[in-house]
Amino acid sequence: MNDSVITPEIRKIADQICSNYPVKRAAALPVMRLIQERYGAISAEAELEIAEYFNLPPVDIRELMTFYTLFYSKPKGKCHIQICRTLSCALRGSEAFIHYLETKLGIQAGQTTPDNQFSLDYVECLGACEIAPMAQINKEFVGPLTKEKLMQVLKQNYVGITD
Amino acid sequence: MEKLISRFFDLPSSLSAYKKEGGYDVAKRALEMKPAEIEEEVKRSNLRGLGGAGFGCGIKWSFVPRNTGKPIYLVVNADEGEPGTFKDKYILTHVPHLLLEGIIIASWAVGIHKAYIYIRGEYELPYLRLKSALDEAYQNGLLGKRILGSSFDLDVVIHRGAGAYICGEETGLLESLEGKKGFPRLKPPFPAVVGLFGCPTVINNVETLSYLPFIVNRGGEWFAKLGTEKNGGMRLFSVSGHVKNPGVYELPMGITLREIIYHHTGGIRGGKKLKAVVPGGLSAAILTESELDVKMDFDSLKAVGSMGGSGGVIVMDETTSMVDALRITMQFYAHESCGQCTPCREGTGWIYRILGRIVRGKGRLEDLNQMLDIGNYLGGTTICALADGAQMAFLSYLKKFRGEFEQFIRDGVPKETYAHA
Amino acid sequence: MPTLKINGQDVTVEKGTTIIRAAEQFGISIPHYCYHPGLSIAGNCRMCLVEVEKMPKPQISCHIQCQDGMVVQTESEKVKKLRQHVLEFLLVNHPLDCPVCDQAGECRLQDYYMEHGLYDSRVNENKVKKTAKAKPIGPTIMLDSERCILCSRCVRFTDEITKTGEFGIFNRGDRSEIGVGKELNNKYSGNVADICPVGALTDRDFRFKCRVWYLQKTESVCPGCARGCNITIEANLERPQHGGGERVMRLKPRFNDQVNDWWMCDEGRYGYKSIDHSRIDQPLIRLDGAVRSVTWDELTEQFIKAFKKLKIKEEVGILVSAQLTNEELYLTKRFFAKDLGVERIHLMRNYPDGYQDDLLLRADKHPNRKGAEWIGFTENDKETKALLNELAQLKGLIIFGQDIVSLFPNQNLADAISHLSFSAFIGSNHNQTSELVQYVLPAASYAEKNGTFTNFEGRVQRIRKALPALGESKAESEILMMLADKLHLDWTYQHEEDVFNGLSRSVSQFQGLNYKKIGSQGIQVS
Repeated sequence: MNDSVITPEIRKIADQICSNYPVKRAAALPVMRLIQERYGAISAEAELEIAEYFNLPPVDIRELMTFYTLFYSKPKGKCHIQICRTLSCALRGSEAFIHYLETKLGIQAGQTTPDNQFSLDYVECLGACEIAPMAQINKEFVGPLTKEKLMQVLKQNYVGITD
Repeated sequence: MEKLISRFFDLPSSLSAYKKEGGYDVAKRALEMKPAEIEEEVKRSNLRGLGGAGFGCGIKWSFVPRNTGKPIYLVVNADEGEPGTFKDKYILTHVPHLLLEGIIIASWAVGIHKAYIYIRGEYELPYLRLKSALDEAYQNGLLGKRILGSSFDLDVVIHRGAGAYICGEETGLLESLEGKKGFPRLKPPFPAVVGLFGCPTVINNVETLSYLPFIVNRGGEWFAKLGTEKNGGMRLFSVSGHVKNPGVYELPMGITLREIIYHHTGGIRGGKKLKAVVPGGLSAAILTESELDVKMDFDSLKAVGSMGGSGGVIVMDETTSMVDALRITMQFYAHESCGQCTPCREGTGWIYRILGRIVRGKGRLEDLNQMLDIGNYLGGTTICALADGAQMAFLSYLKKFRGEFEQFIRDGVPKETYAHA
Repeated sequence: MPTLKINGQDVTVEKGTTIIRAAEQFGISIPHYCYHPGLSIAGNCRMCLVEVEKMPKPQISCHIQCQDGMVVQTESEKVKKLRQHVLEFLLVNHPLDCPVCDQAGECRLQDYYMEHGLYDSRVNENKVKKTAKAKPIGPTIMLDSERCILCSRCVRFTDEITKTGEFGIFNRGDRSEIGVGKELNNKYSGNVADICPVGALTDRDFRFKCRVWYLQKTESVCPGCARGCNITIEANLERPQHGGGERVMRLKPRFNDQVNDWWMCDEGRYGYKSIDHSRIDQPLIRLDGAVRSVTWDELTEQFIKAFKKLKIKEEVGILVSAQLTNEELYLTKRFFAKDLGVERIHLMRNYPDGYQDDLLLRADKHPNRKGAEWIGFTENDKETKALLNELAQLKGLIIFGQDIVSLFPNQNLADAISHLSFSAFIGSNHNQTSELVQYVLPAASYAEKNGTFTNFEGRVQRIRKALPALGESKAESEILMMLADKLHLDWTYQHEEDVFNGLSRSVSQFQGLNYKKIGSQGIQVS
């Protein structure tokens, strides 16, 4: 099978991951993360290849895609802002920040700006309540959020955003 | 007050820094003790699971059958999903070697040669630090074959989650580790007997394992005395919300909630009055001002109708709308319910939508009793304890702040809810 | 063998029995959705919760095993309230589809609501929307994911029984939704509509045909292959305005743990159309190019007259079928072989061998080959070939339903048949061969007669008459009795059971059997 997503190089890494487990399927989440970090998302084609790699019916991979929040079918924008909305952050004003960003970016939570610069999501507790209200911006935990801090991030990634 | 784990939070996380503090010396000594001795010491310490369940650590180990012919696995629960909890993150970020040392001790005690650390997928820096520590450990003969000059082999694998609170539930974690959706399993059989890949498995929280070196070093009796009658030692309380100084505070089990809030975290910000506190992670029943003198060990909190849980303390001051706080809370459970069991799947979503309607100003007084009735059937009827947690939290809000809910429905959204940006 | 108390009654069961099965054994039924005896335990619906003394929480009876000294309550106030609330939870997001849902009348939400619910709805919120409304997920099944209660029976069925893994449950919480990857296309797909307790998975073939409370149900056995899956024929007999003129609305599998468990294959399930379509419903005589429809009296008169003109031993060939019942084969042997002295009676197949698997499907597509063999008819390819090659020399041929013109397309049998001086077809459906012979004797379908089949494992099972014979058609046994009557033979059979009793006295394998003993589940002859 001519794999276009699971290249020989990726397959080698995946095989190595699988060697950590007595049952191949246990490596599903790590291998899916590997693919997603390589390509920015797990496409429909990737799902099929992953299913074949693990000798699973494709519907099993679809289940994992829809169950776990960290797997995306489409890549996120260059700057992925995930704002926590659970209690500790809500007590410190997270909802206001969500509205603020939605207005500034012109998108709703769950969407990406048309130029692919920003994606906005709200997420549940990230385990960073001591810096509430906080957000995960790409890989970094950022908080306590202030308007200034947010503006700094937006400007870093997008020329032309105004106060 | 002596600091045990948290002492390391200000030091570098490298192996060399850890070794300077005597790191891995205890593990080396432990490997020369009899495994049964270690288990006895842990039982004596009254160390109880600090992930949330509060089950006796030594007792849990003793449930594992040792001669089935199958390998025994250790699974480290680093999923830390209970809202208000962030102490494991500190251990993973600042002193991952302490965790590894605890893993060595636990594995030796139970006869385990393979451990998996299931770390929640959102943690990036903690993962990088843990990975670095793991590499250092392997490079220095602390993990792998014949560790620390003994004849004991131990492999540790880091396994990253993918974003699901239910994967912090022990059998949900096992399912996720096996490459499936995190659907909790029916119990019995219990993981100690049939766990990961069908083999006997010990599942321990990061913090629980991190106390093991101290217990083996200074004795279970010493550790037990630090705490209360049946709940030994200290724990890392994660304090957040409307306190002046949110953060991780390592304090003895017998400390009261009032002492934590007012003596250690600087009290309520802006000098405001306290309204309610979540004492042990989102799933714990909230407590009010009159209940603040409760000791923070598992048994004392259970006695007042709440729970020690994950040690996550969320403080709410007088500016908090309890109606909105409950809505946010139920939104969490509705979002994280795995969907297997009828009461949890439908009940959490239903209650959340009723609360949403109330918050939009379309509530009716009958909604409250209706929600109470629904809430009464959320818990005690499901495969796992997510619904039990949702139930405990939910009922405590309605029971202790009934008046506020009624007023909200009659008069509408109050002028002040939370601090706004 | 643990002994426990269920509702105050002492029961003793095998070690390892779950509470729900123990209760079942003693006539106590516990309502349930996700539990199915043929599938693994999921334990997610929570409907089967019962109270067990000394256990702090209610327990699901489908999973907990009986222990000595256990005390179980399945009808206490607490349990009743639990059931009511589980039902209420299930109905929170369930669409009000009853008026347009085929499951109505055999729906566990409806049934349990009437038994255990009877509360007023207090849902004032919008229901959660799912994506698949009336979506065909394959050739046989329609999906309505809003109706789904997420019991996961279909998922477990395609994982564990067919091992094709088509179903999955996507998303989390109350956004959970059932679905398939590509499509549901395996040879047992129809079973998922059976096991779905609600109208989420419904049968496309049955869709909107008939309300189930109008159906008349008769136990029978599928004639599609040598397995003989136990079935129920469900027919609409009193409302011909429904169902588009068909009488049989559907077939359903019937549980038999020695034959087919709870399942049947799609080929058998949807193979009932021949009962109501392309039937030969009039006796016909075809002579000198003209076809006349005649009375049975005239046909049997003419038949016997023409038959007697032949030299029985040398000139007559008969093709018997493994689709005939034991009773019919016995009468055929008695009439043609014994009483009339025909020598060339051959068992010939109606169908070539087909697909076979490890589940239910057998390559042999005839329901009664074993029975035929026991009665003395064994298929022999060489003899069959010889007979067909010598068709030109034969003067008379009687065919029991085989379409030899289609089965052997290269042998120009059409021509040979039209040159026979006597040809007869005894069968239920039109085919190429029936359109060529002189005497066409319309036979009843398997749904229109009583009788027995013997499956490939030697199990004798009963088929029962579900419908009146269509038009003028008659069961083959009746036809043979009429012919025997015309010859003044001294047969005293009143009905098929008499014939079976006669059969059991003369054929050793059937010794000691009777209809009562065979019952609903059949009897294995060792």
